[in-house]
Amino acid sequence: MPDFIEPLRRRLVELGCPMKQVRRLVREVADHREDLKQAALAEGLSETEAEARANTSLGDPVLLAEDLMASLRRSTWWGRHHVVAFGLLPLLAYPVLWALLFTLELALEFALGYSWDAKKLQVAVNNPVTFRHLSLALHFMDYAAIASVALLFGRLARRSAVKFKWTVIACAICSVYGLFTWVSFGMHSLSLGFTVSASLVPQWTRAAIPHLVAGAIYILQRRTIRRFREQVAG
Amino acid sequence: MKKTNPSFLNGVPELLVLRLLARQEMYGYQIVEEIRTRTGEALAFGEGCIYPYLHYLEAEKQVSSRRQEVEGRNRNYYKLTARGRKRLDELTSEWNRVTTGVALLMEEQHA
Repeated sequence: MPDFIEPLRRRLVELGCPMKQVRRLVREVADHREDLKQAALAEGLSETEAEARANTSLGDPVLLAEDLMASLRRSTWWGRHHVVAFGLLPLLAYPVLWALLFTLELALEFALGYSWDAKKLQVAVNNPVTFRHLSLALHFMDYAAIASVALLFGRLARRSAVKFKWTVIACAICSVYGLFTWVSFGMHSLSLGFTVSASLVPQWTRAAIPHLVAGAIYILQRRTIRRFREQVAG
Repeated sequence: MKKTNPSFLNGVPELLVLRLLARQEMYGYQIVEEIRTRTGEALAFGEGCIYPYLHYLEAEKQVSSRRQEVEGRNRNYYKLTARGRKRLDELTSEWNRVTTGVALLMEEQHA
């Protein structure tokens, strides 16, 4: 009798189903298959016939995995409206989320580094060495905010079981924003905004961050599939 | 303005599952079988495809689940929550509104 559960599990993993969902779906489908088999045994079929009937009722495990993924996609707002969620929403949400995250990081830095004491901050800013460190930290916060927004959309795409291309699209939108949004630090000023001014754009490092995030998500997915295959082979 | 009903067919599986769970706690296979038999095989969920749907209802806090052993078998049992009951009431009144409307139209055609 060909195994039903392993091909189902393998296909779910290959389709990028989140591992938590894979475990739960496989466990429940295995229970379901056992119920179908028990019902067939109760009708007087032999063990082999009962298993065959259970497998026939469930259909091709590869197709069932695809159906399960489609159902999973339909079961979330993000999955049902993936064009809006990953094609349009990042356009509206990126500037807000990026500014919000950056402000939160700034507040955290101020609280941890200067205990909310503006005088301490002023002393640090007036010192060229600490100003340089501060400037680097602010650049890092800016990059972290960009990465966080891209990661947020990547994670939502993964959780809603949509195709990887939607992660790429959302990250590409974040990347375009990365090119045209800017953060500027002076001795006593900090400004952030959006510009198409030639002196400030393009900012390739900022634009590259969302692509790096998409690449990292892709590598993690491939690694999960490879590990799973190794486990099955082992 | 009259309320429209763009999702009345989309809401049918939800209505069926919530209606069954309002009576008793059930597991996936049992729900699929009950729908098949109690609708005279007019409606049926694809085997296995009920689970993402149940997970969705759980995420929406309309049902809750627990792993339980009954007669030597471990299964996930689902039951209706207070939010699910409220949703069931909404779907039931929506369904009644739609079926009444359709019945009126059909009667007009037969008259």
